[in-house]
Amino acid sequence: MLVSWNWLKQYVALDMDREELENRLAMSGLNHEGTETVFDDLAIDLEVTSNRPDCLGHIGVAREIAVLYDLSLSLPDPDPTAAGPSADSGFSVTIDAPELCPRYTARIIRGVKIGESPQWMQDQLRTVFAPVNKDWKPVNNVVDITNYVLMECGQPLHAFDLAKLQGNQIIVREAAEDEAFEAIDHHTYTLAPGMCVIADANRPVAIAGIMGGADSEVGDDTVDILIESAAFSSMATRTTSRALNLHSPSSYRFERALDPEGIEWAANRACELILEHCGGTLDEGFINDGATTWQPEPVVMRLSQIERVLGISIDAEQVKRILLALGNTETTSDENSITVTPPTWRRDLTREADLLEEIARIHGYEKIPEDVGVPMAASFKSDWDRVASKLRTTMTSIGFDESLTASVVPAAWTQTYSPWSSAAPLRTMSPMLKGADALRTSLVPSLLEVRRINQSLANPNVELFETAKVYLPQDEGLPQEQWTLGITSGQGFHHLKGVIETMLHSLKIEEVLTVEPTQQDLLHADYSASLSLNGEHFGFLGEVNAGGLKTFSLRNPASVAEIRMDLLVQHATLIPQHSQLSNFPAITRDINVVLAESVRWDALEASVRSAVDAGLLEDVTYQETYRDPQRDGDDVKRVLFTVKLRRGDQTMTSEEADSVRGQIVAAIESQLDGNLLG
Amino acid sequence: MALQEFLDQLEQLVSEAESTFSATESTDALEEARVEFLGAKNGKLKSVQKLMGSVDKEDKPLAGKTFNETKGRIESAFETANERIQGGAGDAERDTQFDPSLPGASFKIGRIHPITQTIEELKDIMGRLGFSTADGPEIEDDWHNFVALNIPDDHPARDPLENFYLATAEASSGEKNQVNLLLRSQTSTVQIRVMEKTKPPIRIISLGRVYRPDTADATHYPMFHQIEGLMIDTNVTMADLKSVLRLFATSYLGDDVTIRFRPSFFPFTEPSVEADYYWNGQWIEFGGAGMVDPNVLQAVGYDPEEVTGFAFGLGVERLCMRRHGITDIREFYKNDVRFLAQF
Repeated sequence: MLVSWNWLKQYVALDMDREELENRLAMSGLNHEGTETVFDDLAIDLEVTSNRPDCLGHIGVAREIAVLYDLSLSLPDPDPTAAGPSADSGFSVTIDAPELCPRYTARIIRGVKIGESPQWMQDQLRTVFAPVNKDWKPVNNVVDITNYVLMECGQPLHAFDLAKLQGNQIIVREAAEDEAFEAIDHHTYTLAPGMCVIADANRPVAIAGIMGGADSEVGDDTVDILIESAAFSSMATRTTSRALNLHSPSSYRFERALDPEGIEWAANRACELILEHCGGTLDEGFINDGATTWQPEPVVMRLSQIERVLGISIDAEQVKRILLALGNTETTSDENSITVTPPTWRRDLTREADLLEEIARIHGYEKIPEDVGVPMAASFKSDWDRVASKLRTTMTSIGFDESLTASVVPAAWTQTYSPWSSAAPLRTMSPMLKGADALRTSLVPSLLEVRRINQSLANPNVELFETAKVYLPQDEGLPQEQWTLGITSGQGFHHLKGVIETMLHSLKIEEVLTVEPTQQDLLHADYSASLSLNGEHFGFLGEVNAGGLKTFSLRNPASVAEIRMDLLVQHATLIPQHSQLSNFPAITRDINVVLAESVRWDALEASVRSAVDAGLLEDVTYQETYRDPQRDGDDVKRVLFTVKLRRGDQTMTSEEADSVRGQIVAAIESQLDGNLLG
Repeated sequence: MALQEFLDQLEQLVSEAESTFSATESTDALEEARVEFLGAKNGKLKSVQKLMGSVDKEDKPLAGKTFNETKGRIESAFETANERIQGGAGDAERDTQFDPSLPGASFKIGRIHPITQTIEELKDIMGRLGFSTADGPEIEDDWHNFVALNIPDDHPARDPLENFYLATAEASSGEKNQVNLLLRSQTSTVQIRVMEKTKPPIRIISLGRVYRPDTADATHYPMFHQIEGLMIDTNVTMADLKSVLRLFATSYLGDDVTIRFRPSFFPFTEPSVEADYYWNGQWIEFGGAGMVDPNVLQAVGYDPEEVTGFAFGLGVERLCMRRHGITDIREFYKNDVRFLAQF
């Protein structure tokens, strides 16, 4: 809202320093955005919050100044002389859409002389319009006056050329489907139901509260005029204005809760100025349909609430002064409370809390101390936070960068890879980013896209992880938001599996990680697996297949993994326990066995562990696999591994170790049909 | 001879040699020990080597490999002891080819995303002030995102153009009173969820992703992170709010700052303010704050006559950009690894 310094001076004495005033306005709710000189006037830009439409006119701002500086406010009291016949004798107003327009009034002035508006008015209008519209020019005396009153009190008005309104009537109705309308800006707009139009007997003459029509505007040959002053639904004004992408000072105000009493005041003020500057005769009375139903109710301000909420006490006299200066009228008071009825232009004041804010902002927030002793309280770090923090530390220390990618992705991505859910992804009604309107069901496509971006930047090493939610649709209610860890690497399956194992190790998760084959369109048929932790489904891991690389335009190999974070939190050992360590040396045995190709390492390891007392077997370490079909035959492999043995009570002898080794070999023979090499 | 027996002897020899070398205190003693283990004619290592001949042919490769490793380990134990005794002081052999300025063998480490780093720091500071972290869903219903937050039906904040409503909600049924789902536009939703199931006193922060339909440019992104604080108790005042924000800003910036309130308007607080902090000679916007609106307290079943509270919210991206000199918000979500490596 731009206000003119000279304009404000009409209502309140501006003897204070301008910058100090700007600062005080900012500190009391009208944020100062800047000030510029417009000829011999100043345009002060104030930000007005949506709850304060009263400050979308000079009078409202002047009132704030008067309250802040304890000054008197001198406002016009329009009382135009109506010398003509009763206005509604030859003209009617009908509201057909009361939900869009609760009240519509019109006044008629006949025999005006169109010309230029007075210079002072043009100057003040220029100050408030020219800084935002370099092409701004005064129009004519009638139109300038309606704009002047708009900027004076915040109530929009519209002047029609009476001769161009057909059928001597105004009908306020909902627009018809595809109804065309040419506005003053000479654009033709296509209207739709839900929008409110002002029509005469035959056609729309204005988009209610937004803009008038090109062929009913007041021009040089206008003689009789109709001044519209009305209330329009703020929601309908907003949606219409948005839908048509047509915004005006008028629509901006109608989108807010305007003063219901401003309707008549503004009409009278405009009529008074028109009679003064354009001549003519005013018809008696208003042509009116509808009524505004809003009435301010008395509000009790308990003085005790001030200290209870603000933390400071304010003198009762000061409280009363502030409330009354703002336009509230005192209803009753006692020593503990003041009851006031808010003014009609402050529809935001309906509760004690609202009055409390008024008192606080005018009294000054700088009076609230910033060094009170807030009581101490214990705070708790959740297991989730502890695990996430540890996880990030581990991932970064083994060389992975953390990425953050958008939750909403192109729908095609969710078809490419969606291992957690086969349901169609949730969609947003409008895309979040270009082409992206699907809530992701996997982090993997996003991570592959990041690989592609880094490839285009010629970044060689792209090792990334992300902890974020995937959104899994449910049959009813809110979707399941699953916290997921996604990882991508330029290395292969076992490297990434090692990353996951390292992470489990760092979280001291002792549960067994198992792998089973999986079929995912994006992943290599063999170098991929579905993961389970302690028998519960945990995630997926795999190398991206050729088709997947092509889909994401990747030139180099990539692997991906995705795991559920809830299981990490569930199984992490956040408070590890000490166990007594053996002081006796360990002894190792290498074992080289010949096995059928189909025997997996996990089966071999399980067999080893089954053969030995867990208290003796410290570690089973896989070493390598050889294949020698000439000596061993087809579909057979040799697996070399090492067992580390240790006793807690004494040094294990070589003979004992050999005996354990014998047990292991026997177990492998009987369980897996494997043989010791040689 | 069985392979295992041979290997055991080697292992035993290593531990014997290591303990002998590490126990020597003089050059003479060390030399004596060297001859004992590494002596070319009658050293113990030599003796064990001779046993290798009797190992099975099949096992010879492994035996040979292990023997070489053993020799290396004993030699290195000797070197270690030698360096210890010489103390580097003597005219030990000099290595004129050694270049200490060659780069060390460095390790590749990853970086935590700057947004996460900022969030963790803010959580940490608020934790010290007694605020615990609360989490909640990103996909919300009307009640938690609007109604309970005192944002009425006709409020512009509920405009479909200001939010990411989910298409499924509308498509599945045309009924008026069905539940509309949307991506939360603020983390205040979590505050409602916490208050609905917890009795006062409450001291929490909620943080995470929020979504608003802004066109992505240098200062806007349709997804960003918010951190919101909430404190509810029988005696919480605006002075508490100001004091907590001052401590928060002071901790974050590492120096004493002062806080200023400018009136503002948010549906869920009354009074509502913008909080600024004074830093490096200027006022800098911190975030929105205020006293929790009585309607919000009532919506979650609290009695506004019994408890009061404050709430504040900050944009994480803005704080992070200012702190690290980042000028384009889109960098956060592009994930150029060179960008990530800067933090």
